Amino acid sequence: MVAAGSGAVAAGRESAVTVRASLPLFRKPSVLPGFGLTLGFTLSYLGFIVLLPLAALILKSSGLGWSGFWAAVTTPRVLAAFQVSFGLSLAAALTNAIFGFLVAWVLVRYDFPGKRLVDALVDLPFALPTAVAGIALSALYAPNGWIGRPLDELFGLKVAFTPLGIAIALTFIGLPFVVRTVQPILQDLPPEEEEAAASLGASRLQAFSGIILPAILPALVTGFALSFARGVGEYGSVIFIAGNMPGLTEILPLLIVIKLEQYDYAGAAAVGTAMLGVSFVMLLILNLLQQWMRSRHAR
Amino acid sequence: MAIQVSGITKRFNDFTALDSVDLEVRSGELLALLGPSGSGKTTLLRIMAGLESPDAGGLLLNGEEALGLKPRDRQVGFVFQHYALFRHMSVFENVAFGLKVRPRGQRPSSAEIRRRVAELLELVQLSPFAGRYPAQLSGGQRQRVALARALAIEPKVLLLDEPFGALDAKVRKELRRWLRKLHDDIHITSVFVTHDQEEALELADRVVVMNQGRIEQIGTPAEVYDHPASAFVYEFLGQVNRLDCTVEGGIAHVGGGALAIATDGGVQGPAVAYVRPHDLGVTPAAGGPARISGIHVVGPDARIDIDLAGLALEAEMDRERLATLGIVAGDRCSVHIDRARVFAR
Repeated sequence: MVAAGSGAVAAGRESAVTVRASLPLFRKPSVLPGFGLTLGFTLSYLGFIVLLPLAALILKSSGLGWSGFWAAVTTPRVLAAFQVSFGLSLAAALTNAIFGFLVAWVLVRYDFPGKRLVDALVDLPFALPTAVAGIALSALYAPNGWIGRPLDELFGLKVAFTPLGIAIALTFIGLPFVVRTVQPILQDLPPEEEEAAASLGASRLQAFSGIILPAILPALVTGFALSFARGVGEYGSVIFIAGNMPGLTEILPLLIVIKLEQYDYAGAAAVGTAMLGVSFVMLLILNLLQQWMRSRHAR
Repeated sequence: MAIQVSGITKRFNDFTALDSVDLEVRSGELLALLGPSGSGKTTLLRIMAGLESPDAGGLLLNGEEALGLKPRDRQVGFVFQHYALFRHMSVFENVAFGLKVRPRGQRPSSAEIRRRVAELLELVQLSPFAGRYPAQLSGGQRQRVALARALAIEPKVLLLDEPFGALDAKVRKELRRWLRKLHDDIHITSVFVTHDQEEALELADRVVVMNQGRIEQIGTPAEVYDHPASAFVYEFLGQVNRLDCTVEGGIAHVGGGALAIATDGGVQGPAVAYVRPHDLGVTPAAGGPARISGIHVVGPDARIDIDLAGLALEAEMDRERLATLGIVAGDRCSVHIDRARVFAR
């Protein structure tokens, strides 16, 4: 009897244990405490700060209905603004990926007087109010500006109040993202791998493309994505240099503001929602690309 | 291929890493550069590989001036201390790298590259791991990948920087024997750097003992161990008792007359006598001048701490001998020295 009783107790305990262990289905056993608390905090924080406003945006635009939404975001003016915003942001992000990488390379690999100063200068686009940057850039690149005049006279190249001007403004504000993401990775790159490549007979170019580039590519893509995302959302610096001609140099954020000023709240929300969707898909693709690269660069 | 180093000097700011070093590495031998950290051994190796350029001196690889050559043109295989495997490449790609980067005319076909890499992975016993990434390998396996990668370019010389430094004791020993066997099979002129005297003595055909940017002694392992050329070599190779003494008429007096050692002459006045622990004999003696202060048994050997009139000595013997003597800590004893080397102070 006693034996049977204790057996039953043991069996009961066992089943209790299995039930307890199987309760949090997606949770892996871990020695780190506070999973519930931190996950709860993270989700509610993200919910309040990020998802709630976005949900309100989508809700507002849903007032139009599907056909109304479609009509609002497919007018020629909106489509042109889409082209300007995303196209020029991509161009600026690509420019930054190349030249930001060069800046990071020089800052990591070489010593020169004033290096710390240059290093600090890189962050200035972060700190400067974007409107100030926009005004400064348009003053420089305007047809009578310091850079704009010689460009116009020598090459007939107009920068301010053209798409090129927008690209320059977006390049300016996006540069620190690439430099600051690539720099630490480049810093940690062991020189031995390059030396090994050299002793195995690789040229500088082969060592660069075969060893250095694959190692920094995930960081470079991150910097590219951040720079691109910043460019899509940028408003302050662009509106001064863009000229804001509908269909030609009008960016999406400005178009939204114009719609708001005309009390077309639902239309503004629709454009915002469409912008959100496109940005989200592009960032998601970049993230997946990065994950794939990182898994190849296993450590 | 032989390597000739003549008068190589290298300074880093005001630190002299190499001070006019001359060295000849014979064709087909396995040479160890042995020394404490900062002795310049790695710098010398990196100069041979072309990864560092000297301030002065000359370097001949197989009789040809090599200092003007870039690392990629020297046909030297270099194995780095921490392997420096390409992290984003599989084992196969790592080993194939040196073949794939050859100029178009000299590059083997991809089938030939596959065959060669498979052969090398067979040689280093890593055939099943061709698809793995370096992060998925153990230290010993990484080391062998690094070796296969260096051998892939069919180097004339193999240079290894602290090849076993980052491995645990057991793997280190296995890999050491394996490398010796590999060298006996393929007879490639090899130079390796180590700070581990046991490794140098066991593995190398000849050992170069370095200190503070200079070569202290070059010789076979037996030569440098049995006939150290300097006090430094004596102290660096193995355990040693260092005894301050005064030499008068060929007799070294230690510890104010507590011990007398016959010297082979040449030295007079204040000197230092070096005695290996296994050359120090212990005899139990009730009224002896020395006292056993401790006995430590390490595996088959026993280490005995002796206090001779305030002087701490260390003796070594096997456990059988210890049992025969029947000594325990606290006993009085007398000591005698079978062999010592005296250097003027």
